[in-house]
Amino acid sequence: MTMNRSHRIVVNWGHLALLAVIGSVIAAYLLDTRATSLRVNNLLFVQPAALIGLLLVLLVVPQCFRRRPAGAEAEPAQPLSHLAKAAGLMAALVALALSMERIGFDVATFCFLLAALRLCGERNWFVNLGYSAVFTAILIYGYGTIIPFPFPLTIL
Amino acid sequence: MLDLASIQGAFDLLTSSASAWVFVIPGLLIGLFFGSMPGISITMAMAIFLPMTLYMDFLPAIIFLTAIYTGAGFGGSVPAVLMNIPGTSSAVATTFDGYPMARSGRHNEALGVALAASVTGCLASYLLLLFLIVPVSSVVLKMGPLEMSAVAIWGMLLLGSLSGNSLPRGLLAGVFGLLLGTVGMNTAGYVRGTMGVPWLLDGVPTIPAMMGLLAASQLIGLVNTKYLIEDEGSRKISFAKIIGGFRLSLSFPTIILRGSLIGVIIGAIPGVGSSISNLLSYSETKRNAPDGDSFGRGNPKGVAAAEAANSSSEGGAMATMLALGIPGGGATAILLAAFATHNIVGGPSFIANSKDIVYAIILSNFAQALLLLGVGLGFVYLAGYIVRVPMRFLIPSVLVVAVFGSYAIDGTISGPITLVVFAILGWAMVRYDYPVAATVVGLLLGSLVEGNLLRTWQISGGDPAYALERPGALLIFALMALSIGLTAWSARRRRRAAIPAAGSG
Repeated sequence: MTMNRSHRIVVNWGHLALLAVIGSVIAAYLLDTRATSLRVNNLLFVQPAALIGLLLVLLVVPQCFRRRPAGAEAEPAQPLSHLAKAAGLMAALVALALSMERIGFDVATFCFLLAALRLCGERNWFVNLGYSAVFTAILIYGYGTIIPFPFPLTIL
Repeated sequence: MLDLASIQGAFDLLTSSASAWVFVIPGLLIGLFFGSMPGISITMAMAIFLPMTLYMDFLPAIIFLTAIYTGAGFGGSVPAVLMNIPGTSSAVATTFDGYPMARSGRHNEALGVALAASVTGCLASYLLLLFLIVPVSSVVLKMGPLEMSAVAIWGMLLLGSLSGNSLPRGLLAGVFGLLLGTVGMNTAGYVRGTMGVPWLLDGVPTIPAMMGLLAASQLIGLVNTKYLIEDEGSRKISFAKIIGGFRLSLSFPTIILRGSLIGVIIGAIPGVGSSISNLLSYSETKRNAPDGDSFGRGNPKGVAAAEAANSSSEGGAMATMLALGIPGGGATAILLAAFATHNIVGGPSFIANSKDIVYAIILSNFAQALLLLGVGLGFVYLAGYIVRVPMRFLIPSVLVVAVFGSYAIDGTISGPITLVVFAILGWAMVRYDYPVAATVVGLLLGSLVEGNLLRTWQISGGDPAYALERPGALLIFALMALSIGLTAWSARRRRRAAIPAAGSG
């Protein structure tokens, strides 16, 4: 089969990276399961399911490569600023989850709200500060009365 | 089937004192409020108020707890529709069409459909329970691990029907979820995939993972959106439209009846319950509907199917709990604990000796379902205002509520960390057109499938002929094959119908 020279291959790197993550997790899980024990009671379900999963990863990989006619216009890509906002929000969320027990739920929540409101488009700092403070207080006292576990707090 | 003398006794118990009724509306309101709070499960709501019941008589205590159960069952659909957050695992399928309806400005209608389906599903389940409590309990007692596996595999087949545009991506999402659902210690005692993290021994925390995959990931994707509903005119809160949705739901009697039946039967199976029944009902409705292709894009039939099944699961779970003394899940376990605090042991002897109390509980649930209609209408009217909040406030607020909710499950940081990991994974999966719902279903079913397959393996000694000795399992497998055949047939019928339409267009 000859390759048509009027086409070029476009690689969807993001999709490929996601498949690499899923494939690596499945492979690592299979190896860990096999390292635990090779008895049927351990492998009965995980081994066939993992092998099917890896097979499916291989089936999906070709979908990351698309042929496009050489003269065709590229599909309109999402602006980088949109991706940066999503990445910023994810980073803020990671920071919230990792810091809430260390710096207190109140401080971590307030800082997260401050950053996230700004990222989501709230330009007025007074509104931002006021909303973050009030919402943090409502959340801490509201959840505090409902749930039976104590929150580590720094200020409230 | 019906013991009329006991029913008369139940009426006497319920009408002799107001104490049985005083706690119904507070119970419903507590349930609605807690059910609509992401991360606060039905079980947690009931557990928090369990100590209060120590100071009540037995019947009011149980009625109070079942009112919380009923309210929370519907309450979970409010964040599912408005925020794509299934408050509990039983509201997962509600998000599939409820949230797309909300995003297209049909939030009033979606909430009305959900409320009507919940109320009718709940009524239908208790009606069935009234007649079938004795036969259902005898059937449930005969279910073995192979039958349980068969039900779970039936659930697994949903993965295919829940897939998006690419079947391999749908299956990969599902298999990935199933594998993640088996992380931790399996029933044979083998520990896998924990990476040395102690809290993963019990497996990936399901509720935070679900919240991350379905809700937080979507919210991150909406970071550049100004309002949940872009069209300003569609953002109105309309009581008339809620009632319109209510009426619309009642025009799907077959869907609601099927959902109720699936809910009662699956709800009666211990350990399976409403988390699978809503998915099964959704899938069966999608398969049989002539407009099945529009499911997942805001079809009210999907909301009705899911809500009818998850509400009717309550009746099924109560059947097992009352007749056998076996809790089907966390909520019925708390009810059994309330039985114990009043020195009453649930099970066959209780049903034999106290039929009047059993019927009183069932009859009071009829009243609760009807009261939910009024209380729920007011509640969804207020909750509907969420679509008018700008996204720049809604996204950070809901994310932080979800993080708190995930912490509230067991009071450790495992919930927030799980939520964040699955939010990022879910965002990437949505971006590349993977059905995250399939991963969620896999997560819910992973350990269940593995555990039951292991037990079947141990009982049968690895002999496949064992399946022939289990007619119940064979029947479930036959039903499964039938439903797959019907799916293929209905897809073919839709394709044939589409060809002339395309030709004439």
